[in-house]
Amino acid sequence: MEHRAHERARQGLHGLVSPRTALRIAVRGVLTLAIATSLVAGIAGGLLRAGVAWPATVTWLPQAALAHAQLMVCAFLGSVIGVERAVAVKRRWAYATPVAAALSAVAALSGAAAAAAWLQVAAALVFVAVNAVLLSRQQAAHTAWLLAAALAWLTGNTLHARDAAAAAVVPWWFAFLVLTIVAERLEMTRLMRRRRAAAPLLTLLLSALLLACVAGTLALPIAGMLYGAALTGLAAWLLAFDIARRTVRARGLPRYMAVCLLGGYAWLAVSGVAWWATSLGAPARDAALHALALGFVFCMVLAHAPVILPAVAGVKLQFGRVFYAPLAVLHGSLLMRLLLPVWDARALALGAAANAAAIALFAVTVIAAALAWHRRNARAPSPR
Amino acid sequence: MPDPAPSAPEASYPYSGPPALRRPIEDALRRVVDPEVALSIVDVGLVYGVAVDDARVHVRVTMTSAACPVADWIVDELRAELSRVVGPQRSIEAELVWEPPWSTERMSARAKAFMGW
Repeated sequence: MEHRAHERARQGLHGLVSPRTALRIAVRGVLTLAIATSLVAGIAGGLLRAGVAWPATVTWLPQAALAHAQLMVCAFLGSVIGVERAVAVKRRWAYATPVAAALSAVAALSGAAAAAAWLQVAAALVFVAVNAVLLSRQQAAHTAWLLAAALAWLTGNTLHARDAAAAAVVPWWFAFLVLTIVAERLEMTRLMRRRRAAAPLLTLLLSALLLACVAGTLALPIAGMLYGAALTGLAAWLLAFDIARRTVRARGLPRYMAVCLLGGYAWLAVSGVAWWATSLGAPARDAALHALALGFVFCMVLAHAPVILPAVAGVKLQFGRVFYAPLAVLHGSLLMRLLLPVWDARALALGAAANAAAIALFAVTVIAAALAWHRRNARAPSPR
Repeated sequence: MPDPAPSAPEASYPYSGPPALRRPIEDALRRVVDPEVALSIVDVGLVYGVAVDDARVHVRVTMTSAACPVADWIVDELRAELSRVVGPQRSIEAELVWEPPWSTERMSARAKAFMGW
């Protein structure tokens, strides 16, 4: 029934635009701009960290480098996931999450670090409430883990706002992303016949991940090893039980999505090993963080953008094989980033630049796919 | 209502309306594919019922998850596919329902075979 109200609002765009609709369009425009800013600034900051030279005239760049992780995880992914969940819950107040998360990027880039941090806390607080509503609507394992993901984000953001060390904050931020993705996949695994050990095994692995976060906050030496083991275990669980192993046999978009997912799970396993190695003193911190963030999380972004963009932004995309190009560049550039610095530390900058190129290529692919859909449907109008 | 066409594929939802539209509507719904699972919404068992009269087509549809952001997209696809077969005189009403909750018993034999049951 809410859908019909949504349809009426959508139809209103074609006729007279009410002030409320105009406000919604304005908010959507500002939000899109702020999300894009957080992504671009987050990447630019990451490049500076990796040693890519930038002209000194870009005044916000030092802030972007300083805030790289929070720009990527809290501002960009936090707002994207926030929008996704707000669309699902269909409550207007739920959009406070992406608005606060995206605005935190603007605050961080203008040097207001404390304001940025507390905006992220506010975003996560609303996000916890959103997920509590979803859990009350559907009491299932995946909705419970989505709430746990929101609580992990809130914990990480609160620690960050209270100036905790990065080693304490970052595991919570990644736990937010990993729990979110695993919970969403868990919902899908219901379509496959579940083996008896799958559910308790997943509870064990996700609990280990959260325990490792607590251990990290308390600066216990076991934290990194436990976190890495949990990540690799989760990768094995996903490879064994996710429907991607089935849907990869389909064609078109479902196959592309499955290829992205399976590649992402492989990077999750790599990240777990690197995290573990880092805790033993190996110089693998960059590999641990970026196999997880770029390999696992961005593979999920690439997988879901063709279905999430139409769902949340009304932007339809013409899917084609060209979508495999940015995916291939992402995998290749990540291999470069992880392997080349073994021989020459300066190669990290090259790998990072190639990572950024993969994301830029994906953005271009999405824009081209949206234009292609418009061209095709302008020629052959749908009977709607 | 008994199925008028013995060769028609199994449909997992109750249908009321003109028998002539039963098969075209089912075919239209089978073209709505959930990209995440590579199966049609009929095979997954998301369609709970279709009622057709002279003025409208009413479809009750569910999702596997309340946290599913693709729900609106699937409903849009459903409306687009149905509009191709039910004639311009009928409005299309898609109602998103959560009761009874979706379960794997609703999956078709084809869907179960694809998912390795």
